[in-house]
Amino acid sequence: MAAAALPTTAAAVEGLLRDLGPQLRRGGAPAEPTGRLATGIAEIDRLLGGGFPRGRLSEIAGAPSSGRTSLALALLARCTAAGEVTAMVDCADAFDPRSAHSAGVSLDRVLWVRTPRTPQALRCAERLLDAHGFALVLLDLAIPDFRSVPATALRLARSAASSGTALVVLTATRALGTAAEVAIELAPAQTRFSGTPALLEGLDVQVSLVRHRNPPGPRYATARLHATRAA
Amino acid sequence: MSSDAPRTACLLVPNLPLTAELRAHPELDGEPLAVASGPGPRAELIAVSAEAARRGVLDQTSVAHARAVCADLIVRIASPALETAARAALLDAALSVSPRASWAPRSAGAFAAEAAVYLDASGVDALFQSEAGFAAALCARARRLGLPGNVAIASSRQLAQIAARRLSGPGETFLLAPGREAAFLAPLPIDILDPEDALAETLTRFGVYTVSDLLALPRRALRSRLGPDVMRLIELAQGRGDDTPLPVPSNARLLEAIDLEFPIDRLESLAFVVQGLLSRLLARLEARHLACGGLALTLQREDGAREARWIGTAAPTLDLRVLVRLVCHALESQPPQAAVESVTLETEGVPIQSDQLDLFRPAGPAPAALGRTLAELEALCGGDRIGSPRVADHNHPDAFQMAPFRPAPPHTPHEPIPGPAGQLAIRALRPPLDASVRVSQGLPQHVRSAIANGRVLQLAGPWRTTGGWWSQEEHFAFDSFDVQTADGTVARLRFDHLRKHWQIDAVYD
Repeated sequence: MAAAALPTTAAAVEGLLRDLGPQLRRGGAPAEPTGRLATGIAEIDRLLGGGFPRGRLSEIAGAPSSGRTSLALALLARCTAAGEVTAMVDCADAFDPRSAHSAGVSLDRVLWVRTPRTPQALRCAERLLDAHGFALVLLDLAIPDFRSVPATALRLARSAASSGTALVVLTATRALGTAAEVAIELAPAQTRFSGTPALLEGLDVQVSLVRHRNPPGPRYATARLHATRAA
Repeated sequence: MSSDAPRTACLLVPNLPLTAELRAHPELDGEPLAVASGPGPRAELIAVSAEAARRGVLDQTSVAHARAVCADLIVRIASPALETAARAALLDAALSVSPRASWAPRSAGAFAAEAAVYLDASGVDALFQSEAGFAAALCARARRLGLPGNVAIASSRQLAQIAARRLSGPGETFLLAPGREAAFLAPLPIDILDPEDALAETLTRFGVYTVSDLLALPRRALRSRLGPDVMRLIELAQGRGDDTPLPVPSNARLLEAIDLEFPIDRLESLAFVVQGLLSRLLARLEARHLACGGLALTLQREDGAREARWIGTAAPTLDLRVLVRLVCHALESQPPQAAVESVTLETEGVPIQSDQLDLFRPAGPAPAALGRTLAELEALCGGDRIGSPRVADHNHPDAFQMAPFRPAPPHTPHEPIPGPAGQLAIRALRPPLDASVRVSQGLPQHVRSAIANGRVLQLAGPWRTTGGWWSQEEHFAFDSFDVQTADGTVARLRFDHLRKHWQIDAVYD
């Protein structure tokens, strides 16, 4: 009897799924854990176990054209769309408002701090963390002459922990060592031009998870970034 | 005591020149101090401290004489700037407990050294438990601003002032109950009504010494002999005063100034002076529940010239350390051209921001903390480098704008994200990097620069951007290319038609 009932139940469930279709959602863990800030790029969020952790120092390292700015802007876009207040400490003076707007960043929720020197940038980041209430502080240190500052990095990590703010640092090569809870390295994989006349279509980047307290699964992924003329 | 009866308080500082000096130099409290009317040994002393009086120094004597009596007497020259600021601070102390207040008119007679403010004390029981509690709170607020004074409360402003004059030491209070005015005034000496000198002398010649003596005289005869001034005195003696409602001051401009004893030419010393001024200014702002929205700094130079500069704050703040840094930053970036002999700081008080937390949106930084942080960042980086980015309404590829950072609350708990995630962004290069480019058939073939090098593997373009043709300074004309060089960099390369050279203005990243 029981064996006969099972196919009937399974068929009923299948029917329900077919009828309700997209209104149903798989239960279990939420898509965006409250303790993490997702980037919206599925491959990278999967690699990071949901996104960059709040209250922790994270590092995105990569050479020019490796996709680190695109990743940072995607993070900003998700945060500001959720109504969070964010800050960008721009030591490289490389933030482009037009590109950010095109990526979906709500610019009025971004505090842009343009500081030309590294010590100033680090102090600014510390002040922002001490203010408590910023969901994300992006620190762009992807400048050629940046030197590793392990003591300051540890202090920043402590400030981030006490404020609950996700501090994400962009560097050209890994520089924060063990102070970073999460570190990923990006490298360009393929540049896509297409059409006649040719247009820049996008960039494929190789993402490597080089540091994570609890690696959620695979350590490598490839992300696809799409270009628009507005950028 | 009926709560409907109008009540007026008077906060009175008996010796303004001395109080103003001690407010600016609190380290002189308890020292033998005298304030002189001018420089030089023949100048007359207009105020002496209790310690100086204890040592035998009398006011209205010369500086030379006073020094002969007390060798270690500290003599300061009366400073109109300090007195003006102290008088204004007195009003701030009043406004910290009552919305209606105004300065008392200055006396030309025996009470020329005093400063007083009137304030509405009607219905204060609800806030301060009693009139006595109100008077004590007012005394405490004034003392916090460096103005130890007396407070009296009566049914009219003049009566309150007369009652305050009767108090001996600073911090004393007196409440004159309604209906007891005549009994209170009767035994008082006639001088306490502050008659003009000539009238006071005449009344003394008549044998009129007390208020009851004055009221005993026939009024019509007094008026015909002494004129209308004596009628004003009689009205005061009868306990009748001005019952016009006190105004609500709308001006929130606060000023602190100091005339320096010696001209200062070192920035460190000037910063020390500024810190004192700022601490007094912030105490006044705090008393009025306001914050500093910017500072106007005026330096009177030794050579007679005057330098004025505006020091903006990113957000209203009451943080002394931050404001001192902002002023120091302004002074360092543009030092005064000569020694400074007078410093004035003025600010427009703005309401302290508050925020109502929302159940459905993330809590951002608290307004006060954000204001302090913005001011600190401004002090670190400069005011023009902090703000919220804006897309410039301009087709120049390098154009951008910054606006004051005022994060807007979201309209809905989760706004839709415009556009797909994973969009390729650019990294701006400011200023653009010069590049050496080999061209074939109008297209770049090889690039050499600080960021992208090697043979051009792929390219797209050109896209021409021109504008500003109406002005030689604003005119631009670029041909832009997206290029991938052999080292893997994908850059935006442009040829400047006006300057005839190649640049890289952005990198796809």
